[in-house]
Amino acid sequence: MITGAKLTMILMVTTTVTSLLLGTVIAIMRISRITVLRTLGSIYVEIFRNIPGLFWILFFYFMFPELLPSNWGAYLNSLDYYPVIAGIMGLTVDNASYVSDILRGGRLAIPHGQREAAISTGLSRIQQYLHILLPQMFRAALPPLGTRMVHNFKNTSLCMAITAPEITWATQQIESLTFRGIEATTIATLFYIALAGVMVSLIIILEKMLKIDISSISHSKAAE
Amino acid sequence: MDLIEQFSNFNFYLLGPYPRGDIGGLMLNIIMAFLAIGISFSFGIILGYSRLSCRPYIKFPCIAYIELVRSTPLIMIIFWFYFFLPYIFGRNITIFWSAVISLCVYAAAYQAEIVRAGIMAVPRGQLEAALSTGMSRYGAMRHVILPQAFKMMLPSFVSFFVSLFKDTSITYIIGVIELTQTGIIISQRQPDRMLAAYVSMAIGFWVVCFTMSRLARRLEKRIGVFDLESIRPEACRDEFMLLPRKKRMGEGMEENPSCAPSDQS
Repeated sequence: MITGAKLTMILMVTTTVTSLLLGTVIAIMRISRITVLRTLGSIYVEIFRNIPGLFWILFFYFMFPELLPSNWGAYLNSLDYYPVIAGIMGLTVDNASYVSDILRGGRLAIPHGQREAAISTGLSRIQQYLHILLPQMFRAALPPLGTRMVHNFKNTSLCMAITAPEITWATQQIESLTFRGIEATTIATLFYIALAGVMVSLIIILEKMLKIDISSISHSKAAE
Repeated sequence: MDLIEQFSNFNFYLLGPYPRGDIGGLMLNIIMAFLAIGISFSFGIILGYSRLSCRPYIKFPCIAYIELVRSTPLIMIIFWFYFFLPYIFGRNITIFWSAVISLCVYAAAYQAEIVRAGIMAVPRGQLEAALSTGMSRYGAMRHVILPQAFKMMLPSFVSFFVSLFKDTSITYIIGVIELTQTGIIISQRQPDRMLAAYVSMAIGFWVVCFTMSRLARRLEKRIGVFDLESIRPEACRDEFMLLPRKKRMGEGMEENPSCAPSDQS
């Protein structure tokens, strides 16, 4: 049970990080000026948003090794922890589509002058994104991103379908071995509720830390 | 010919073992999603409205329920009902109904949040206006607030339906023969058709979800335009709300010009 809880947390942290990375890349693709990249990004989002995450987890576990060249597939299937990897991949591709959509919404919230100011100070494209646009995108998109990450955390329980030994799977094992299903399920539910509560409060703290005091800005403008 | 052979059992994906057994496949997903959203709809309205109540003994149980369900994974809820509903009822119920009940419990909490957001999006003046015409609180909710709130909630209801439809795939874990389960069955019985099975699963989910999300987007656009045309908050405030007050102030204004509205602002 405790190892299951550990694995759930590992899954949560890794999928959060990877899906943020992938989601950011796709969000940049979707707002770029190059049509091919934009179309590719839109296709990605349309495909992955409209098919359930459970499907992707099953797909990466059962189907993905078959699609690879046979010796790679056999190597992947022989790994003990392949269910965990497949779960991470499935959750990442599913979550990244949502993240990219949220971030694209955050891009629209940035005033146009920011980009112009970045260009006029002579920053390169990459510098513009790294220093000006991305931080503001994340700040604007923080509340929906937080909700999405809690959702992603709850989705890690889907990995039990491919026998990744996380807490829901451990609950099932305890149920089938000792018939103490009620105790195990109660503990697991409490674990989920507690961790979701911790995540929500962390996000609220982060929001408060990153909040810009708009009244102070407008005051300084008025003073000028 | 080979390709047609690969996809030859699409009836099984669509309807499951229907003519010889219970209905299944993609149809079952759609049925489950509609049943769950239909049954939990009324609960969602009651919960969402009670959450806005000012009486703590109504408000806090509702908040507790909503937050409890929202921070528990759907799988856990499904397990609770799958394993422990027989204990409560004393007899077994079919896995289909235990899946539908757990989806309802899950959906009610999310719908309550949508309803709450919808009610809060209706301008406060609407409620005040309704109360001042002598309507009861219930009447004001029933005839003034909720119709407007529903119009605003409709797009989020449709997109919630999409997400609930995707979540019905989770019931495969307790053995409901829906689209995911049919795909798994075929890919295990006929390993040579594995790719075909996964592609059909993906297409099945994708078509329904894509249509619904497009519908949500279209609704959002139409309702947005319609709202702007019909309500026009500025126009309302100027033409109807402030007029009587200006008249009342006008009586005193002639005697004392310093309290003209332009000076106050």
